[in-house]
Amino acid sequence: MRAGLLAAVAVASLAVGSAAQAQRLAGVRPDLASDEGGLWSVSDKAEIGARQSAELDRDPALNAYVRDVACKVARDHCADIRVYVMDRPFFNASMAPNGYTEVWSGTLLRAADEAQLAFILGHEISHFDRNHSLTSWRRRKSTANAMMVLSAGVAVVGVAAASSAHTYDGASSIMDATRGLIDVVYLAGMASLFGFDRANELEADRLGLGRAAQAGYRPAAATEIWRAQMDETQASDFKRVRNSGARTNIFASHPVDAERIQALQADLKALPDAGAPGRARHRTAIRPHLAAWLRDDLRRRDFGQTLHLIDRLARDGEDLGVLNFYRGEAYRQRRGDGDLALAREAYLAAAAYSDAPVAVWRELGDLRRKEGDPAGAKAAYDNYLTKAPAAEDAWIVQDSLNSLTSGK
Amino acid sequence: MRFVTRPLAAALVALALAGCATVTAAPAGRFQAGAGQEVTLGRMWSDITPIMINRGKKVRVLSIDGPLLNALYVGSGLVPGDNIVRSYVKERPTPLMRAGMSASERLEFVSDSVAAMGYQRVELVRPRAALLGGAPGVRFDLNASTSEGLGIKGTGVVAEVSGKLYLTVYLAPAEHYFQASLPEVESILASARITG
Ligand SMILES: [Zn+2]
Repeated sequence: MRAGLLAAVAVASLAVGSAAQAQRLAGVRPDLASDEGGLWSVSDKAEIGARQSAELDRDPALNAYVRDVACKVARDHCADIRVYVMDRPFFNASMAPNGYTEVWSGTLLRAADEAQLAFILGHEISHFDRNHSLTSWRRRKSTANAMMVLSAGVAVVGVAAASSAHTYDGASSIMDATRGLIDVVYLAGMASLFGFDRANELEADRLGLGRAAQAGYRPAAATEIWRAQMDETQASDFKRVRNSGARTNIFASHPVDAERIQALQADLKALPDAGAPGRARHRTAIRPHLAAWLRDDLRRRDFGQTLHLIDRLARDGEDLGVLNFYRGEAYRQRRGDGDLALAREAYLAAAAYSDAPVAVWRELGDLRRKEGDPAGAKAAYDNYLTKAPAAEDAWIVQDSLNSLTSGK
Repeated sequence: MRFVTRPLAAALVALALAGCATVTAAPAGRFQAGAGQEVTLGRMWSDITPIMINRGKKVRVLSIDGPLLNALYVGSGLVPGDNIVRSYVKERPTPLMRAGMSASERLEFVSDSVAAMGYQRVELVRPRAALLGGAPGVRFDLNASTSEGLGIKGTGVVAEVSGKLYLTVYLAPAEHYFQASLPEVESILASARITG
């Protein structure tokens, strides 16, 4: 009881903004000559980069949806933040000091509903509202590490970009995810300068939960999305990822662990188990992107995680043509023991739904040909050519079909 | 993290760290592109293979103006388990050649490998029948972008001969550079001889 009461007090006090760190006033830009002004101007430069990035998702309907959810939780900071949806297959969101926010497609694909997205955005906006990037900058800039990194002559835009990694752990995870493609020393140095510490993360969680609940979203969504990330980690094909807990998930490594979920659960007790999940609205917004985002996710080549994600997306029986097709793709590309049979099953399941991509017939044909089932292969290839006679690769399928009869 | 997937960052870092990695001239004339494939260059290229640390071990890389402005990847005699782009950490694998790939899997191998180099929105288009050193293969074009939003165009060819994969992929900025070297690349593609 006592714990519950304290939690109630805590949540209430967060709602009126009496937390340790100062709240930011809406619509106010810091003085350019101040250290905060300096952080803002490097963030402005990074934001220009985001606007030009090939990964920026420009779908107006999707952006309007994410913007709307962000504004609901941002309240009077709505005009202070700019949200960019980036097509990157990782679970991540970030907040730069100047209110430039990124939400990655991997996050939208993994949020089961609007309430989970609202919690994530509430978390990021709380970093902004509480000036976490400024306090961590002031805390860390006097360290030897800062001197070392700055003397290495790091470019200004990179500083702001790295600040969006949130934590050293976060940056390390990005490194794990893309090793060989980045300048490791550089990124680690930047992240250690700008990372939010654990206290900031816990505070952003609690405030984010408060913001989402106040906007009318179901509070339990906060712990659900963290748990789902921990579960997905356990579904990895790789032992090292499974053993690392949620740390290898980028956003999760701000860091999601049992303690962080427990802290949220204490706050949840003080809130009514009510509110809107907004499941249908979320799915409607991401539906046009499911195929492209799943294809991006497959390129991470952790097929166990992709299959886990697809299972979650398929839970309510929607989009089963697309989802089963990509389930088949994951098994086909993984090619472990028994995977090709599972791929065939998934393609067949997909083929029963009107939203199945036509490629399902080409893949079924190729699989059956491999399995020594020429009649089955022929039927599938015929189906492909009937449904997509003008496909760019129709001639390849026709070739395969011809080779069945010529016995090549 | 815009710079995270910049394709050449790793190559440049490697150059700085290794110190001894050198770019050599590849003059006009016959060029041995690894074991089992020869092409004829119509002009002087640079063999930048040693600084492209992401490349698979059976891939050579040529360039005229530097790898960001034109890069010609030539892979010769890849067998199951080989890759075009190498993986640095087990948990982040790159696409592998597999035994018994279908024609569409060979194209997927190429486009997923280009994505693994760090290019964004990689799209393989216009697959068409073509010969590579006399063997039946598939010619294709590519559209992609760098992380920073620079448009990239590509073209290439892939063929499997006796269970081994041969391929060429040319990548350059869509603006000016792609077109400027395309005639030279076309004649290089036509000149390929499989000797393995
Ligand atoms: Zn955070």
